[in-house]
Amino acid sequence: MKRFFTTFGLLLGFCSPFLAISKDYQASLFGIKSNGSTLNTKAIQKAIDYIHDQGGGRLVFYVGRYLTGSIQLKSNVTLKLHEGAVLVGATSVYDYMANGQPQALIHAEGQENIGISGLGVIEGNGRYLLDAIHDQQEKGFLTKESPTIPGLLDFRQCKGIQVDSVNFWGAAGKVQVYSACKQVRITRIAVISKISTGNTGLIFSNCSAVSLTDSYVETSGKPFLDEGNNVDMEVKHTSDAKGIPIF
Amino acid sequence: MKKILFFLLFLVVSTFDAVKAADYRVKSFGARADGIYVNTAILQHAIDYVSQQGGGRLVFDSGIYVTGSLYLKSGVTLHLEKGAVLAGSIQPFDYVRDSLIGWTSLLFAYRQHDIGISGEGMIDGRGFEIANRVIDYIHSGLISDQLKNDRPNETMRPQNLYFRECTQVHIQGITLKDPGSWNETYDQCKNLLVENIRVDSKSYWNNDGIDVVDCDSVVIRNSYFDAADDGICFKSHDFTKICQNVVVDNCTIRSSANGLKFGTVSRGGFKNFKVTNLHVFDTYRSAITFAAVDGAEIENIEVDGLKAIHTGNVIYLRIGDRWSGGKKPIMKNIRISNVYAEVPASKPDSGYNYEGPVEDLPRNISPASIVGMPQYLIQDVYLTNIEMVYPGGGNPYYAKRGTTDAELDSVPLMADKYPEFSQFKELPAWGVYVRYAQGIHFENVRLTAKQRDYRPAVVLDYVTNAMVKGLSFNEPDSKKKKQLFIHQSKYIKK
Repeated sequence: MKRFFTTFGLLLGFCSPFLAISKDYQASLFGIKSNGSTLNTKAIQKAIDYIHDQGGGRLVFYVGRYLTGSIQLKSNVTLKLHEGAVLVGATSVYDYMANGQPQALIHAEGQENIGISGLGVIEGNGRYLLDAIHDQQEKGFLTKESPTIPGLLDFRQCKGIQVDSVNFWGAAGKVQVYSACKQVRITRIAVISKISTGNTGLIFSNCSAVSLTDSYVETSGKPFLDEGNNVDMEVKHTSDAKGIPIF
Repeated sequence: MKKILFFLLFLVVSTFDAVKAADYRVKSFGARADGIYVNTAILQHAIDYVSQQGGGRLVFDSGIYVTGSLYLKSGVTLHLEKGAVLAGSIQPFDYVRDSLIGWTSLLFAYRQHDIGISGEGMIDGRGFEIANRVIDYIHSGLISDQLKNDRPNETMRPQNLYFRECTQVHIQGITLKDPGSWNETYDQCKNLLVENIRVDSKSYWNNDGIDVVDCDSVVIRNSYFDAADDGICFKSHDFTKICQNVVVDNCTIRSSANGLKFGTVSRGGFKNFKVTNLHVFDTYRSAITFAAVDGAEIENIEVDGLKAIHTGNVIYLRIGDRWSGGKKPIMKNIRISNVYAEVPASKPDSGYNYEGPVEDLPRNISPASIVGMPQYLIQDVYLTNIEMVYPGGGNPYYAKRGTTDAELDSVPLMADKYPEFSQFKELPAWGVYVRYAQGIHFENVRLTAKQRDYRPAVVLDYVTNAMVKGLSFNEPDSKKKKQLFIHQSKYIKK
C-alpha cells in the first residue's frame, strides 16, 4: 500500500505540469470528421495550433477513423486517442510534404510538453503509402532521390514527451524517431509494423532522461536502435514478438 | 475607337493560338475523384510539376475532385473534362487567405503567365456550406470576425478564383458555381480572354458573376452569368491603375444587383470599352451602372445593343465623391445605342436565391438616371435608338417629388454614399432623370409608361448643351402633360 502511494505520488509529480494545463477540446469542435474518408490534415493542424495558442490542452478523439496527412505537434498539446479512435495516415505521399520533403505522420521540432495518450491506434497505411511513393517515382513525378519515407512519429529537440498506451501500426518508414529530446516517457505502447525492412521500431539519438516501459515492439526491422549519445536511458518490461527484451 | 477595339479583340484572341502542350492526367498523380478526398496536396504537386516541365494541360477526367486552396503556375491549364468537378472543400481550414492578395480563394494565381482553365467541366465552390461553417467557427471562437450584417467578412469566404498580376489568362468553356464570396476575380491582369463560360453564383452574399479589376486588354464573350450580386463587374482598386481596352460581346446576365457595372470601388478608372449584344433579365437593380465615386476617370465607353427585360432600372451613370482622396472624377464620352428595355412594377428578382435587399422606400419606379455633381459634370452622353417601357403608375400619395424649384433642389447630392439608382428615393421623372451634366444627346428615344404617372417622363436639371432629336413619349391620359421638363439648364436644342 505504501508502495502504491509512493508510485502514485511520483506519477502525480511527473504529470503535474500536464495536469495543470489539461483542458480538453473535442475533435468535432474543429470540424474534424471520424468517417475515415474525409482528409482532416488542415483541420487537425488548426486544432493543434489553436490549443497551443490557448495555452495548451488535449485534442480528444473518440471512436472513429480520422484520416490525415502529416501534422505538426506544438508545445503543451496532447493528442488523446480514446479506445476505438484511429488516426489513419493518408496514402498519398504529397499529403506528408512540408518544405518539399515528406515528414512523419506526427512530427515536432523544438516543442515542450507534448504527448500522445489513450488506447487508440496510429495506423500508418504503410503498404499503400509505399506503393504510392514507388508509383510516383516511376512516373517521374517524385524525384528518385527523395529519401525520406514517412514514419509515424518524429520528435526532434523536444522536451517533456509522454507517449502512453497508444498502438502504432503499419508505418511506411521508421516507426518512431526521437532525436535530441529530453525527458521522454514512453509506456504501455504496442508497435506492430511489418511493412518493410525500413520499419525500425524506436530510434533514439542524443536524448536524455528517457524511460521506455511495459511495451511491445513487433517490427520487420530492428525493434530498437540506440544511435548513440543517449544518456540516462531506462528500458524496462519491453520485448519483441518472441518475448526477448529489446534492450 | 471601334477599329481599335476590334483590333484589340483580334490581338487578345490570337495570342491564345493553340500551342500544343503536353497533357498530364491528375489521376496519375494519385488524385481521387470520389467527392470526398481532399486533393489539395496532390493537385498542388501536380501543378508545380507540370509548370516545372515547361507547362501543359492538367486533365481532370469526369468525377468530383475535392480540394482546398491551390496556386496555379505558369504554363498550366486545368482542363476539366465534361463531368469533371473541381469542388471546394467544406472545411474552412482547407483554404488560404492569401496575405498578399488579401482574399480567400479556391484557386489563386499570383504573377504567373500563360495560365488557364478549359473544358466542359465545373468549379463548384460549395459556398453556402463553407460560409455557414465559417459562421459556426466564428461563434465557437476558432475564427475571429465581427460578423457585420451577420455574415463573415467577404475576404474570409472563398472565391472560386483570384488571379492577380497574371498575363495571358484564358478561361474557356467551364461552369463556375456557388462561390463563398465574389466568384472569379482578375486583378491587374493583362491579356485576359474569358469565353463560353457559364456562371451560377447565388449561393451566398456578395456572389458576383465576374470581377475584372484594373486589367488591360480583356475580352469577355459568349458567356452567361447568373449572380446574387453584380453580374459583370469592372473595378479599379488602385489610384494608379486602370481597367482599359475591354470588349464584352454576346453575354447574358441575371443579377440580384446590377447587370454590367463599373465600380463600386472606382479609383483609377475605366477607358476604351466596347459592350455589344448584351442581354440582361430578371435583374434587381440597373442593367448598366457606371459609377465614378472614388476618383475614377471613365472615358470612351460604348454600349451597342442592350436588351434589358424585367430589370429594376435600365441605365445609371453616377459621379460621386466617396473615397477619392482628392482625385478628380471624370465621366465622358459614353455612347449607349440600340437599347430595348422593359421595367416591371414588381420586384424583378423575386424568387431567386439571395434576392436583392428591399430599400430606399417609399419610392415609385425609378427612371434611368445620369447624375453628376455640381463641380464634376458627366460629359458627352449619347443615347441613340432607345426604347424603354415602364409600368408607370407613380402615385404622389405614396411618394412625391414634384417639379417645383424647391422639390427639384431637394434631391439630395449623396456624394459620399454608395451609388445605386434608388439612392435618391423618389425622383421627379418616370423615364429619364439627368442632373449635373453637360452634352447630353437624345436621338430617337422612345419612352412608354403603361399607366399614367404623376411625373413627367424626362427631367433635365442643371444640364448644359443638350441635343434632343426624336424624343417621343407614350403615356395613357397624358395629352396636355409636359413630358420634357427642363430646369436650371441652358443650350438645350430640340
